[in-house]
Amino acid sequence: MSSTRIRTTRLLHGASRRDLLKLSAAAIATVAAPSVLRAQAGEIVFASWGGSWEAAMREAWFKPFTQKTGIGVRTVSGNAYGRIQAMVEAGKTEWDVVEVLPDFQWIGAEKKLLEPIDFNLVDKTPIMAGADLVTPYSVPQVLFSRLIAYNKKLSPAPKSFADIFDTKKFPGKRAFYSKANGAFLEAALLADGVAPSALYPLDIERALKKLSTIRDDILFYETNAQAEQFVTDGQAVIGLIPDGRALSAQKNGAPIEIAYDLSFLTWSAMVVPKGAPRAKQAMEFLAYTLTPDAQAAIAKAYTYGPVVPKAFDMIPAERAAILSGGPQMKNAVIMGEKWWGANLAAATEKVNAWKLS
Amino acid sequence: MPARLRSAGPAILILPGFLLVAGLFVWPVAQLVATSFGDKAGALVHYSKIFTETTYLRVVSRTLLLSAQTALLCVLLGYPLAYQLNRAGRIGKALILVCILIPFWTNLLVRTYGWIILLNPQGVINGLLRQVGLIEGSLPLVYNSTGVLVGMTQIMLPYMVLPLAAVMSRLDPAVMRAARSLGASPLAAFLKVYVPLTLPGVLGGSLLVFMLSLGFFVVPAILGGPRDLLLAQLIEFNINQTLNWPFAAALSTVLLVATVTLYWIGDRFFGLGRLWGAR
Repeated sequence: MSSTRIRTTRLLHGASRRDLLKLSAAAIATVAAPSVLRAQAGEIVFASWGGSWEAAMREAWFKPFTQKTGIGVRTVSGNAYGRIQAMVEAGKTEWDVVEVLPDFQWIGAEKKLLEPIDFNLVDKTPIMAGADLVTPYSVPQVLFSRLIAYNKKLSPAPKSFADIFDTKKFPGKRAFYSKANGAFLEAALLADGVAPSALYPLDIERALKKLSTIRDDILFYETNAQAEQFVTDGQAVIGLIPDGRALSAQKNGAPIEIAYDLSFLTWSAMVVPKGAPRAKQAMEFLAYTLTPDAQAAIAKAYTYGPVVPKAFDMIPAERAAILSGGPQMKNAVIMGEKWWGANLAAATEKVNAWKLS
Repeated sequence: MPARLRSAGPAILILPGFLLVAGLFVWPVAQLVATSFGDKAGALVHYSKIFTETTYLRVVSRTLLLSAQTALLCVLLGYPLAYQLNRAGRIGKALILVCILIPFWTNLLVRTYGWIILLNPQGVINGLLRQVGLIEGSLPLVYNSTGVLVGMTQIMLPYMVLPLAAVMSRLDPAVMRAARSLGASPLAAFLKVYVPLTLPGVLGGSLLVFMLSLGFFVVPAILGGPRDLLLAQLIEFNINQTLNWPFAAALSTVLLVATVTLYWIGDRFFGLGRLWGAR
């Protein structure tokens, strides 16, 4: 105890007080001036989900884009909606492009956090029609789906959503996403006899009543990695999980089959946060990613489907057959993301009440 | 240097820390609390929602219940451990400390996923029990409150053992010898002298574990089931998904008030501050 005290005192005397002051001044300057961390001119900042997906985008999109325009793309991770709101409210937007899930197209616009897309620069005509893929504040990025994957060693092949809710014929746990917009409400309604065209607005009460029939057999997953793990190791025999995770489980040798007829098609979107310092270059970037070439390139690099149907002309048939939007998904139900954008909070309250009851 | 400044020396040393706490903690917290009241629909709309709607009452009560259960389990496991830690010789002490501290320093996510490997229906524990013939199917050890309790207790145990061991080590061994020499059996001396004298440590450690448990996010999210929806998860959802910050702020304020109140009670009645030398 006393020896430590002596040592500390000696240390303090050793360094002159001026040195300490200089040091702390430098420390404060570093904290107070994030400009040193900011992007160089001619470089846009793209907030992404990171990981192997970002690596694929770098090859398929960022490098060719930089070659073509001279505009670099720097990525940052942690593209949470809360951070966009914090940046915009503080008047210090540091991101130029953010990839988000589609509900944020409407939530972000309603909260006035987004720059309108400059459709003089961004050509929206080749984008897949219908289902609100394009909004005044967003463009779609790639297609993905939530679909039924099952462990073929543990379960026979489910043919319909009614089968998913039949625990007698298909015993075992089902893995669903823990958030309300994970398509399990839609699946329940389809299983209960609702026509796909009549899904929205969702009859949540009816969906929850149907879900109650298999309540003890539901395993909710919090992250997509967990979803993949659940069906891979057989903790769940059937999962309503992202197609990328089902394909990745298959690729890793898990006995997983995909029921493409039981798919919900959705997409990710790109937005420009309000006050983005390089909004114009961001628009050029968005325009580039929506060319058929760029869409085909990303679809070859990663298992997401192109939002520009023409890109399928440049994708080999066996590749197209596993991608969202490909021919095997002609029966896929398109998620009512606009409805979700407006109703996520209210629907979540109902689902939470059901979970806790 | 002027004499007045020199005599203010120690105070100046506190200043940077004080400014840091004030600027990076007190001010943002004040803003957070202000956000929770600042809604066009009325200052208390979010609070009345939390305290009148069954869903939120359930979330609050589950958070409190799970935290209390964690604290209780930590006492039951931590007391004998701290007792042994205090009595063991040099090597024994080092061994126990290593067993407590290595998990303490291991990443929370790693430990949480480790529990899944042990607890899941196809996991190590169920496999072992099936092999020795104790069970036929599998015990539901994870994706329910059991899983959450196991995970939280393991993470919180050091917060119980270390303060408790500190209190025990400060106890004068002569007191126990006196009790024995006055005719108390070992058990009676332990129950009537040792336990009451270490009770402040038990209460202090329990409060510490309870308060820290209130804000748990990762463990219940990964090891819990649908019913283990806790306050921290609701806060995260409202901040990052629906951007309903006023409601998230109100939920956070409830957590904050609960924690501060508990700390105040602990400090006022059980001398919680003494555990880490605040007095």
